[in-house]
Amino acid sequence: MERVHAVGVLIAPLGFLVAAAVATTAKGVRPTGAIRSVRLGSWIGLAVAVTSCIAVATGGAVRTPLLGAEGLGLSVRLDPLSVVIFTMISVLAVVILRFSVSYLDGDARQGLFLSRLARTIAAVQVLVLSANLAMLVVAWVLTSLALHQLLVFHPERPRAVLAARKKFVAARLGDLLLVIAAAVLYRSVGTGQLDAIFDEATAGSVASLPLAVAAGCLVAAAMLKSAMFPTHGWLVEVMETPTPVSALLHAGVLNAGPYLVMLTTPIIAQVSGAGVALVLVGGTTAALASMARITQPSVKVALGYSSAGHMGFSLMLCGLGLLPAAVLHLVAHSFYKAHAFLSSGSVVDEARASHVPTPQRLGSPVRLALGAAMAVAIYVPSAFVWGVRPDSEPALFVLGAVLVLATTQLVAAVTDSDGPFVAWLGGAVLALVVTSLFFAFEATMHTLLHDLVPDVDAGRAQLAAAGAVTVGFGIVLVQQLRAPSRRDSERRQAWRIHLRNGLYANALFDRLVMWLWRPLDRRRVTATPTGRSTPTSQPALTTAARY
Amino acid sequence: MFDTNDTTDTDHTHDGHGPGDVGPVMSAAVRRIAPVWKLEDFVAVNPYLGMVDLDVADAAALLHRAAGARSTAPIRHRLQQLDDGIITRQDVADALSGALRHSAVDVDGFLAEARSSGELEGVRPALTLTSCAEAPGGLDLDRFMVERLGAWASAFHDDGQASWRSAVRGEGIFASWRAEALVDRTPDLMGLRGFRAAVAELPADHASAATSVLSDAGLSAELLELYFQALLLSVPGWSAVAARMDWEAGLRGGEEDHLLQWLAVLVCWDHAASAAAGTPTSVETWRGRLADRARHAPTELSIALVLQDARDRAARRELARRLETADRAAPSVAIDVRAQVVCCIDVRAEVLRRHLEHVAPDVETLGFAGFFGAAIEVVPLGHDHAVAQCPALVAPAHTLHESLGDPDRADHAVRSRRLRHQLRAAWKQFRTGAVSCYGFVSPVGLLYAPKLVSDAAGLTRPVPAPGTAELPRWAAPGLTPAPDGRVAEVPLDARVAIAAGALRGMSLTEGLAPLLVLVGHGASTVNNPHAAALECGACGGHGGATNARVVAAILNDPEVRAELAQRGIEVPPGTHVVAGVHDTTTDQVTLLDLERIPATHRDAVERLGSDLHAAASRVVVERAHRFAPTARDAADEARRRSRDWAQVRPEWGLAGCRAFVAASRARTRGLDLGGQTFLHSYDWRRDDDLAVLEQIMSAPMVVASWITLQYYASTVDPELFGAGDKTMHNVVGRMGVLEGCGGDLRVGLAQQSVRDGSVLQHEPLRLSVMIEAPTAAIDAVVDRNQAVAQLVTNGWVLLHAIDPEDGRVLGRASDGAWAPVACGPVGSDLSASDSEGELAA
Repeated sequence: MERVHAVGVLIAPLGFLVAAAVATTAKGVRPTGAIRSVRLGSWIGLAVAVTSCIAVATGGAVRTPLLGAEGLGLSVRLDPLSVVIFTMISVLAVVILRFSVSYLDGDARQGLFLSRLARTIAAVQVLVLSANLAMLVVAWVLTSLALHQLLVFHPERPRAVLAARKKFVAARLGDLLLVIAAAVLYRSVGTGQLDAIFDEATAGSVASLPLAVAAGCLVAAAMLKSAMFPTHGWLVEVMETPTPVSALLHAGVLNAGPYLVMLTTPIIAQVSGAGVALVLVGGTTAALASMARITQPSVKVALGYSSAGHMGFSLMLCGLGLLPAAVLHLVAHSFYKAHAFLSSGSVVDEARASHVPTPQRLGSPVRLALGAAMAVAIYVPSAFVWGVRPDSEPALFVLGAVLVLATTQLVAAVTDSDGPFVAWLGGAVLALVVTSLFFAFEATMHTLLHDLVPDVDAGRAQLAAAGAVTVGFGIVLVQQLRAPSRRDSERRQAWRIHLRNGLYANALFDRLVMWLWRPLDRRRVTATPTGRSTPTSQPALTTAARY
Repeated sequence: MFDTNDTTDTDHTHDGHGPGDVGPVMSAAVRRIAPVWKLEDFVAVNPYLGMVDLDVADAAALLHRAAGARSTAPIRHRLQQLDDGIITRQDVADALSGALRHSAVDVDGFLAEARSSGELEGVRPALTLTSCAEAPGGLDLDRFMVERLGAWASAFHDDGQASWRSAVRGEGIFASWRAEALVDRTPDLMGLRGFRAAVAELPADHASAATSVLSDAGLSAELLELYFQALLLSVPGWSAVAARMDWEAGLRGGEEDHLLQWLAVLVCWDHAASAAAGTPTSVETWRGRLADRARHAPTELSIALVLQDARDRAARRELARRLETADRAAPSVAIDVRAQVVCCIDVRAEVLRRHLEHVAPDVETLGFAGFFGAAIEVVPLGHDHAVAQCPALVAPAHTLHESLGDPDRADHAVRSRRLRHQLRAAWKQFRTGAVSCYGFVSPVGLLYAPKLVSDAAGLTRPVPAPGTAELPRWAAPGLTPAPDGRVAEVPLDARVAIAAGALRGMSLTEGLAPLLVLVGHGASTVNNPHAAALECGACGGHGGATNARVVAAILNDPEVRAELAQRGIEVPPGTHVVAGVHDTTTDQVTLLDLERIPATHRDAVERLGSDLHAAASRVVVERAHRFAPTARDAADEARRRSRDWAQVRPEWGLAGCRAFVAASRARTRGLDLGGQTFLHSYDWRRDDDLAVLEQIMSAPMVVASWITLQYYASTVDPELFGAGDKTMHNVVGRMGVLEGCGGDLRVGLAQQSVRDGSVLQHEPLRLSVMIEAPTAAIDAVVDRNQAVAQLVTNGWVLLHAIDPEDGRVLGRASDGAWAPVACGPVGSDLSASDSEGELAA
């Protein structure tokens, strides 16, 4: 299955790199050359992605032979997993770059911005296509370095710099862990080709200590990349840079963590502790971040917390061995989140349309329970229709439980309201549609990915951890369902303040970073007494070429 | 202004330690802050609103002392304009001899000084107590204050974003902040150990808390006020939100103290943070800094003010010259006027009127505030919240309910809208819920892929248009504020008053044409938090179609016409009134309620409709010149902008506004005023008691000055009064924007709204007001209206009279003397504006 021409898929990242190089040279307002080159690059990328989809669908997975020495070098894998993510990124690239052309119109540094976006996209694409450890590590590091440049697009903004530094600390730590994992694996197996490593690992011919070290490092690197609690601080602050960066980061770059775990499942699955860690850390982050999210008054920070939560949820699914479900969640989240960021200005339209009286929430336990019962009553027959036996596989049971909790929220919001009965029907229909879509997409993903993914069964420890997380989810749901009809006690109020502040993990991270950079900053201290803008952000009237 | 008196002396004479002293100074300080409206009904506000009792120079000095503000264009830029001949030496000489204080009196001396001068330093002074404290661990305490107070304020003022409210509501600003400060661990964790303890020691009541904190400081009233201004202006956005709460209470006739409470929060934060900073703060150092700053009067500021004044003089001289010459060249209005078209005074209407008159010379156009005198609020169908359709200065007098003609259909539509809204709310809880979001994304997230593509292509909107959102499709076209062409919700005498007020205000009490068209205006944009800023300001930042339809219905009402006749206003039976709307983003003009046009008028309406269409297609071409050149057809390009969800400049709005002319159209007809001039129709001969003139000067003129000064301030000091960079806007609490992840609320206009790259689309100028009336009449109005007098005598607007006899333009100096402004031709043959000439280059 080694076909050399599959290396042609690298035209896509190459195209973005060329476009980035062209765009860097384009100076000034409305850099036509930059705009044309990134536009062309993004369309080429999409064309390549579609072609590779067709190729894999018709010809099966492909891995190109190694271009390099000592088992390290360039090698591309095209399999359902990489192609799905690759295509997703290519679609996002077209939309995000198109958005940036209008959005930064008139900005004197638009060319530079487009160039940095294109560079980052190229790095992510290489990462996704990597079939060799060396290529993977290099692309991994380049992704975060390229992203860093986007995060400090406005270097005069102190908060942007602080957030980027936090990201820098987390990213370098993650890089280190990935390098350790790669080195251990390379030493044990003697090659950097991932296929070979995975084969050895599944065959059990890698010693358990190196395997455990590698799995541990990989999981930890993924967690750092994806802003798991308590290192999430940077993620909820990087809206100090233009919106398209947030869209790309949340939809295209943050994914690298779960993607690494998915890719290296053959290794991670051998170490049950790794799976437990994924379930616990992922599940905890999912619960905390989504509770912090609903206390946030600003739309972009709320979206930031939401992303951390979804990455946690994806990692949890990975830990449970539910890879197809994790991939589905990851891809679905990317499109959802890119749209949410790019359309975040529309909340004002929503506010204008929101002054419609809504029925009173009653807070009746009976009605809430009825809502839950309806959700279950919709789920069980649907599962039967789709031929899924949740009880046959405990991990699937956990996933099903999350869906039922979710549809309970949907239905109970209606049944617990003092509204017309026809609304109950509407709620039930929506829940049925959601449940059906869930099974349809899960089934599709399973078909797409089942022969790629090793059949991993979650161990008892993972399941226990997942059970604990699910119970936690249940408690949170009950809190949320009862909130609209309940008076706020002082204690609950205090907890919400703690949650809004992300349980202060971010404040501690701030202090750490300020301490780390202290020597550097002290040298740079200027005579300016306080922070009303640094000279670069002074009213641009003085710097205006023309008035 | 502030004397530089010795602080210790004043302490003893005024008993600066006494708690009674702080309160009045606080009350005085908060009056300086202008309000800001929510994004839903974002209207222009004069950011200097609280300063109009000071003259321009004193206000600039105060703002500079307290916040390092810049209040003029840069010196270098004005000197360039002098070299380019846009400003003349005579302008500079006039400015020097005017009311502004500057030591140099001869022009050469002044210019030499100006050329060797640097720019005014725009750095915020360190006037807080914490700025004198040693900050722990490299923490910037002033910035930290803005972040922490911003975090609380975002949650407190949240208007529906967070589903779990985390700020204590209902107990006022101070109590809520105090409750949070006792819980929030952030300051302690960031090294301000003991912050919570310091807050706990404060009295729970805001006035006593502020007083107790400041009782030992020994500050004179002057220094206290400087300190308060500095605090309020360190978070200008959240201060403005509190000011708006007070303003709204005032409109309802009450008096509330939100801003005072906010000032107490700022004072207490400063105190607690400096107490917790570890090292003891030196009160003497702090007092010394305040005293130094109170004496601060940089020469750069006075130079810049003189040059700004010179530029304003040049601008008004140019406009006066054009008005005087135009008078001779104006084509006479056809005697047989086919139709009268009344547009808003908005500067964008000037372009439409000019082109309409060009394509249809027998159509007369008029200008009137776009709410057409109907101070109404409208409850959209099925909503429970009324939308004010009148200027922010006015409290709505009548509530209308949007409806469909047929009550059964309306009921059906209401039920349907409410059901959909309930389900949408449930769906939103499902989408964003703490647990349910995970069950949402897997099945539904993928559906966002096609939506992402179609929204990006402009085929769909990210969310439905609010006006018709959640309504069944069949209901949308029938929505009307005036069902069956009647406005039954307003009592007859009030309808008559609205009709009479509108006709008098438009100077249309006689000579009505067979067709009278009221053209309101609105904007169509997508995904734009500041959409309301592009809509009709006279309609409270909403579309003007509603008011046009309501007033047209009132004017067509036979009962109203009968009553009007009794009051001596004859609306000829052959006159029909039609409503229309001008979409300023796409430049399309649509006539409304066409099914109610009587058969007698159908042809006339149809003909006028095609005239308007022809005019609008010329407007869109003219306005396209302000954008980067494109190969696309101008109308297509405008439509594309109006649907582009990434568009930061769907249109230029009112950028460039600089003058207000209240005169008969004969004075301006045929002049290309470049879309920079508010035009109000006014005929002084029909205004015996000067009621109309007083109305014009106290309402439309004031609103025009608000708009102009908002653009002015957002341009000269984008940091303090502008909304920053749109690309980083983050809507907070569904009511305002942050720039980035937190901190202060951004008010005013974004950079993208005033500039295009480095080229300004708005040149900061004060509003030149030109009124065609005898100077005595204008003086009489100025004398009897204090608000107008302040604007005029303190130099916030430049008032001129157009002599009704010979058309000469006379300027009014601050001492009340009138003198001609256009002293002969100046070697400038530029069209409407100099900056436009630059833009074309």
